[in-house]
Amino acid sequence: MARTWSRWLPAAVVPLVIAGSVAFAAQAGAEDLPERSPGDVLALLADRGHQPFSGEFEQTSDVGLPQLPGGVEVPGGDGDAAAVTSALEALTSDHTGRVFVGEEHQARLQVFDTFGERDVIVNGSDVWVYESAENAAAHTTLPADAGDHATTGEQLTPDAIADRVVEAAVPTTELSVREDVEVAGRAAYDLVLTPRTDATLVGEVAIAVDGETGQPLQVTVTARGEQAPAFRVAYTLLDLTAPDADLFAFTPPAGADVEEVSPPAEALQGDETRSPDHEPTVIGTGWESVAIIEAGERALADQPLLTQLTSAVDGGRLLSTDLVNVLIADDGRVLVGAVPLERLQAAAGSE
Amino acid sequence: MPGEKSRTHGGALLVSELRVLFRRRRTWAMLAALASIPVLMAVVVRLSAEPPGPGEGPPFLDQVTNNGMFVAVTALVLTTPLFLPLTVAVVSGDAIAGEASLGTLRYLLVAPAGRVRLLVVKYASAVAFCLAASGTVLLTGWAIGAALFGTGEATLLSGDTIGVGDAVVRSLLVGAHVTICMLGLAAVGLFISTLTDAGVGAMAAVAVLTIVAQVLGQLDQLAWLHPWLFTHHWLAFADLLREPIVWTSFMQNALLQAAYVAFFGALAYGRFSTKDVLS
Repeated sequence: MARTWSRWLPAAVVPLVIAGSVAFAAQAGAEDLPERSPGDVLALLADRGHQPFSGEFEQTSDVGLPQLPGGVEVPGGDGDAAAVTSALEALTSDHTGRVFVGEEHQARLQVFDTFGERDVIVNGSDVWVYESAENAAAHTTLPADAGDHATTGEQLTPDAIADRVVEAAVPTTELSVREDVEVAGRAAYDLVLTPRTDATLVGEVAIAVDGETGQPLQVTVTARGEQAPAFRVAYTLLDLTAPDADLFAFTPPAGADVEEVSPPAEALQGDETRSPDHEPTVIGTGWESVAIIEAGERALADQPLLTQLTSAVDGGRLLSTDLVNVLIADDGRVLVGAVPLERLQAAAGSE
Repeated sequence: MPGEKSRTHGGALLVSELRVLFRRRRTWAMLAALASIPVLMAVVVRLSAEPPGPGEGPPFLDQVTNNGMFVAVTALVLTTPLFLPLTVAVVSGDAIAGEASLGTLRYLLVAPAGRVRLLVVKYASAVAFCLAASGTVLLTGWAIGAALFGTGEATLLSGDTIGVGDAVVRSLLVGAHVTICMLGLAAVGLFISTLTDAGVGAMAAVAVLTIVAQVLGQLDQLAWLHPWLFTHHWLAFADLLREPIVWTSFMQNALLQAAYVAFFGALAYGRFSTKDVLS
């Protein structure tokens, strides 16, 4: 019986081996990148050329709101209320998906659900949107001069988010470069954008910029005073070879509901869909800006789901998260900004 | 050569073990129960006045009428969380404990087959059952689906359309994924089976574990634990029905199940090789 203990040895060794290989895989170090100043990294980011690639990404959010299941039907809700809930869904739940970029104006975004998928396929001037849960497809032909809109399909990806953040924020932001990070197995500069103002809820935004290609690989947004990012989107796999061209040639499946959508560019903007008279007004600049949306539908605050998530404050109802505050004013306007409540109330009063 | 002799004994032991397994009425009853699920589902869809619309019923059900092969995939969606692991729990939980409670374990160990070899053979036959179980669901699904709805083009989750040949490959991959998913559970079952002489107790414990793991997988507060649960990727075979195929979850699952097999295999070895076999 003296050797009995040795029979249990494998059971002790196996978890050690597993833990060891997990730890090894986690810290397989990034190769060193040459030092670069924040300005150089920003230039690397801005001057990157068109690069075909395919990548898998994941997006996680923890903004201090309960997770909303996707596709919640708001009773009696349509138009604006539905837009608000779908924006909430995008904000509060986690997503994984893939993005393929082929030649210029060829892109395909796939957002995964457990047993479903949402696809946006851009091929030249053709834009297809497909939703497997409904087996419904929508097609739009972009006007010839709408070249820029061809990228609207990529709204959730690190690329698109990084570009928008940089465009909006650089003038009022302090730039720095942190220690290199590794994202999707690639060494990247970690460009940190810290707002120069205190009048925002955003503590910092970090963009991991691929050391070789200048492509954004990860964007994290951290709320003021928090350690862990409230929002993170990052590639988990990235392949810099051109994807199969067949991926961009979409034919809706037999039996799908196919809808032809007229081309106004706003119709493609997903969550930002507004009819022209609902165009948001923006007050302030940079981090402090507040968007005012004329919801025009007083019943918005009465939606049961929104009533549960919001709390009554002076001048309306507040939906408060770590990163964004939304004030549904008593007069039906909706004020959105990454700013403290007082600023939203002031903006509501000043108009 | 004693080594050679024992190797042939190992082979003979496996053959006799498989013969015992697939001669048991219990095994056939379980396979028949599994086969009845795609059949029931296909017949109900066929007889219903309106075909199911998109998003109604279990995933892919609306696809069934376009391509009979989706009967197999939908049946796997239905059986993977409960029915399939239940049958694997019965076979793997009974592996050692069943012999012990029948009093036959002693005789198996009297033969030159060592304990390690018996453990390996028992696991191999549990693996054979996993393969037979998911294969039964898949093949019955194909057969009844092709018979009632015919085969045609199939729509993937991404909205792309694939032909019959591709659909066969995809559903085979789904079957492979589900089989791999059961391998970790079979190893857990084998370990639990070495802990007790009561076969029924071991089966029940394994079945309960499957449920517990899936419940834990639903709790957001335990998100850090989720990637380590053996049930984590069970329904991830949806990724094999995207265009192009997402291999990440398939590979992660294979690694995870291999880790479970290694760890619980080692635990089973530790327990079984030090156990006093009294019956």
